[in-house]
Amino acid sequence: MEDVSGLLWRVLAGPLSAAVVIWLLCHKSKFYTDFGPIMERQAAAFIAIGFLAGSSLFGYWAFGAVRDGAQMENRVLYEFLSAGDLMVEINWSLDRLSGLMMMVVCGVSLCIMVYSIGYMHDDPGISRFFAKLSFFVFSMLGIVLAGNFLMMFIFWELVGVSSYLLIGYWYERPSAADAGKKAFIVNRLGDFGFLIGILMLWGITGEVDFVRVKNQLAAHPVDANLLAVATVLIFCGAVGKSAQFPLHVWLPDAMEGPTPVSALIHAATMVAAGVYMLCRVSFLVFGSPVAMEIIAWTGGITALMAALIATQQNDIKRILAYSTLSQLGYMVMAVGLSNPAGSGYMPAMFHLSTHAFFKALLFLSAGSVIIALHHSEQDIWKMGGLLKKMPITAGCFAVGALALCGFPFMSGFYSKEAILGLAYDHNPRLYLLATVTAGLTAFYMFRCFFVAFFGNTRGEHAEKAKESSWVVLGPLVVLAVASICGGWFGIPEWLVENKAISAEHAPRAVMIAALAAFTIGVGAAAFLYARGATTDALNKLPVLSWVLRNKFFIEEIYMVLVKAGQGTLAWLCGFVDRWIIAGLAVRGLAATTRGTGQVLRLFQTGNVQTYALWFAAGATIILYCLVR
Amino acid sequence: MDFLNILNGTILTPLVFAAGLCFMPARKWLAIRWLAILGAFITVVLSGLAFAWFNINDPGFQFVNRVTWVESLDMSWHVGADGISVVMVLLTGIVGFAATLVSWDITSRQKEFYVLLLIMIAGAMGMFASLDIFFIYFFHELALIPTFLMIGIWGSGKREYAAMKTTLYLSAGAFVALIGLIALYLALPAADRTFNLPTLLDYARQHPLAANVQRFIYPFLLFGLGTLVSLVPFHTWAPIGYACAPTATAMFHAGVLKKFGLYALIRIALPLLPVGAHDWNGVLLVLLLCNIVYGGLVAMRQKDFNYLLGYSSVAHMGFAFLGIASFTFIGLTGAVLVMFAHGIMAALAFGLSGYFFAQTGTREIKELGGLCRPLPFVGTLLVMTAFASVGLPGFANFPGELMVLFGAWQAPGWHAKIGAATVSWPVLLALWGGAVIGAVYMLRAIRNICFGPTPAKWQSLVDANIFARVPYVFLLVVLIWVGCYPKPLVEAIKPATGQIITAIEKAMPAVAPKR
Repeated sequence: MEDVSGLLWRVLAGPLSAAVVIWLLCHKSKFYTDFGPIMERQAAAFIAIGFLAGSSLFGYWAFGAVRDGAQMENRVLYEFLSAGDLMVEINWSLDRLSGLMMMVVCGVSLCIMVYSIGYMHDDPGISRFFAKLSFFVFSMLGIVLAGNFLMMFIFWELVGVSSYLLIGYWYERPSAADAGKKAFIVNRLGDFGFLIGILMLWGITGEVDFVRVKNQLAAHPVDANLLAVATVLIFCGAVGKSAQFPLHVWLPDAMEGPTPVSALIHAATMVAAGVYMLCRVSFLVFGSPVAMEIIAWTGGITALMAALIATQQNDIKRILAYSTLSQLGYMVMAVGLSNPAGSGYMPAMFHLSTHAFFKALLFLSAGSVIIALHHSEQDIWKMGGLLKKMPITAGCFAVGALALCGFPFMSGFYSKEAILGLAYDHNPRLYLLATVTAGLTAFYMFRCFFVAFFGNTRGEHAEKAKESSWVVLGPLVVLAVASICGGWFGIPEWLVENKAISAEHAPRAVMIAALAAFTIGVGAAAFLYARGATTDALNKLPVLSWVLRNKFFIEEIYMVLVKAGQGTLAWLCGFVDRWIIAGLAVRGLAATTRGTGQVLRLFQTGNVQTYALWFAAGATIILYCLVR
Repeated sequence: MDFLNILNGTILTPLVFAAGLCFMPARKWLAIRWLAILGAFITVVLSGLAFAWFNINDPGFQFVNRVTWVESLDMSWHVGADGISVVMVLLTGIVGFAATLVSWDITSRQKEFYVLLLIMIAGAMGMFASLDIFFIYFFHELALIPTFLMIGIWGSGKREYAAMKTTLYLSAGAFVALIGLIALYLALPAADRTFNLPTLLDYARQHPLAANVQRFIYPFLLFGLGTLVSLVPFHTWAPIGYACAPTATAMFHAGVLKKFGLYALIRIALPLLPVGAHDWNGVLLVLLLCNIVYGGLVAMRQKDFNYLLGYSSVAHMGFAFLGIASFTFIGLTGAVLVMFAHGIMAALAFGLSGYFFAQTGTREIKELGGLCRPLPFVGTLLVMTAFASVGLPGFANFPGELMVLFGAWQAPGWHAKIGAATVSWPVLLALWGGAVIGAVYMLRAIRNICFGPTPAKWQSLVDANIFARVPYVFLLVVLIWVGCYPKPLVEAIKPATGQIITAIEKAMPAVAPKR
């Protein structure tokens, strides 16, 4: 068997070295001036893309080895630390699951890095941007290839921090700096549960390695409820990273980052890490039906809630962000509904892969629109008529929207169908919810499409818009092709080797219902918005649009809770520390000492008569005591 | 030539340089500075060599040198290092070198400043390398006294009040600990009384002290030493002390001297008084959780960045205490790793904060803002330090705190039943304090200091030049190196902590912790 372990560290080393090289060398210093003016600006981009391309080649090599049957699990790169029962290694898991995910991450990252050359062209901090982006790809690949819980946690956190840095890339904007902070802290809440889950699992099995935990659980079955609790805690990590309800609030704000970042991190890859992680630990998830139930409902609620909110957003990136939330909900729901004996986690991973293509495409198209509007307009109501001005972008956006909504024979059609089929078989209520969500998806996507690209131009920036350059459009076209054909690559067959299962299709009724939902959604959008509307027709439903526009007031509720809970507690502790511990106790002690000194000083006047008086008083007391 | 011992070298080099500086004319301050840097550099090289030459397979004390001093009391110049000491010696060397380098901003009485700084380094080296209880105490006092002088003379803000407060607290803490040590000395039969630590440890292993004696002596050590480590509620000296101290002093005290209390607890109190430690563990647990959670919450309310860092170090010390209180091998090893990691991180944080202060003249978080624009290098490093502080993987704090949490999870008797699962509630609270509260106050401060629009008055600040960058980069490299590959440190610490845990197990088979 070919030894592929040597390839994997090279896969990780590529983007990491790119990040380090750019960080150390690409300053405003004299270093690049010798290479001429183009090199000076774009050197970072070429370094990042070059190293990533190298990594992708190694990754593809490893992918090929997996296809040829090389099962390489847990080759240790090095031992991180060990003490007593705790043994943490940096080791790999390479199988069909991580191979697929690795290819998706590498492919989408490459497209987006090329696109970034165009998008970030005028930005002065472009080298910083590419360094952070490379660091993100490194961390993401680390999650994908992680062979144990703690290594996954390590890269999990690193991904979180690169997301923080990239959301706050324009750190001088207060909104961007705040959004980054919010994303990090909300993710930390999820990671809190994740680590407790890991601790609990370690307490049960004494291991943190995926394979050894799996073997331990198989050899020594434990209480199902205990396992369910541990699984749900680990799922908390996914709730944070994949922005599931109730920790979804950070993702829409994350749109403060540059659009390529939104596309890569907050749509295609990082936010899908939660779903990937659930698939990676499927041996745990599939072992506890209670936990699966919780996971499925969390996903379902997120999918519906986000789709509802998306219908009333006006910022093109925020619409896509809520759409991402909704699709992530789909994937998480799919994990929760999986049939361990049948297709396993295939539907979730299938949708993850196709979603990575079409959502990246949608964001990049939106980015192309934003470039055309000089980075100063994201409100779809101030666009309009862009179809004629930028036909390629519009076409790509339409392809992305169709794929997302599950238009027949496009990639999203197959993956969504797989999930709907699962829901139909396992949970009728969630099936209904998922179908309604599918209809809403078609509605809000085509609302966005019609308003932004149809009708008359409604803003001065839109007036002057023109098609973007080829460095921007090239990645769009590549991703558009992937979005159309993503269903034909044989991803289900790759994940489920049993041909009978992977070739299964959902019942005809499911397909018809999904198509009906699609048609109703698009039809309603066309009826309301395609005929040159200048304001939102839903404004006529004041309460509904008010609630949806304010995202069900979840953020406001959280703000009140945080203020009332943490704020009050911190205020109380600050008060106690300042006025009770440092004030009363310490100052009080000091004051007592000083006071005693003051009193005692009265005895030391230096006046002979006073001493004589005290002497007489003392002698009297002693005499009294003796005589008594 | 036994005296040519590497540990003697680490103690005496800074002392010799300090003595030499006394004879320099004060106006040649630049030469004085470079000589001091040379001394600190030789010290850090020696401490690095000590770590490199340390044999991790030998669980006993290495590099031992013993010269009898007072025979009747069995007092001797006695140095030697096991894994815990050698890691702390390494920490002292690194932080001492960095603290000497950052002192560009000292503009008056440079000679006295560097003499005191070198004495501090020597004292810290001595307290970690000595094996004689008298000298351990003596060297600690030797390192502590310069702290007070430096805060009082070169400090800023309410420096006299701060110097007084730190002096009172730390002297009181050391004094209470001294009472405990004397009581310990007197509790031994007259024939066996000794200041020699290895002999004492052997003796205690064979003849454990009576349980009620241990129970009586341990609180003196716990609260006395605890005060030195800012155990709540004896912590209020730390924030104001660090806020007013000159940069190098804050770095060295927070980084190194503060670890003395923990070191002495691990080195003296745990193996000699295991029953006492066990019986007082409940109290310690409550206090250390206060350190982590309460300290973190108070940090959220701070307006001055150094106060915030001070309270943050109070919170981090809680983690080291948690490792000690867990009574587990993993936890105790993690506690030592946290001591090292926090030492480097705190030194870096105070060093950078000092740079900001030297540039802007204020530490008010509200006054600052957008400093990443004019100061990209220092700003970036501050952001990275904040990440280290919130326990991000890749920095040394992560493996330390992780081991402490895993050790604490193993601790017997800390699990509460919640539904089907049992959860270690101290771990829950500690993780909440470390991961969530820690992230909130640190990122909030970073958001307000480094990010956001840059006020006009800070547009023209000057970023650190190549010389000024050296100490920061040095500390950061250590932090990242240990964070990515903690194994060498852990392997060095393990034999020593393993012995202590074995001793505890032997003393108290009934509460034998898991290994």
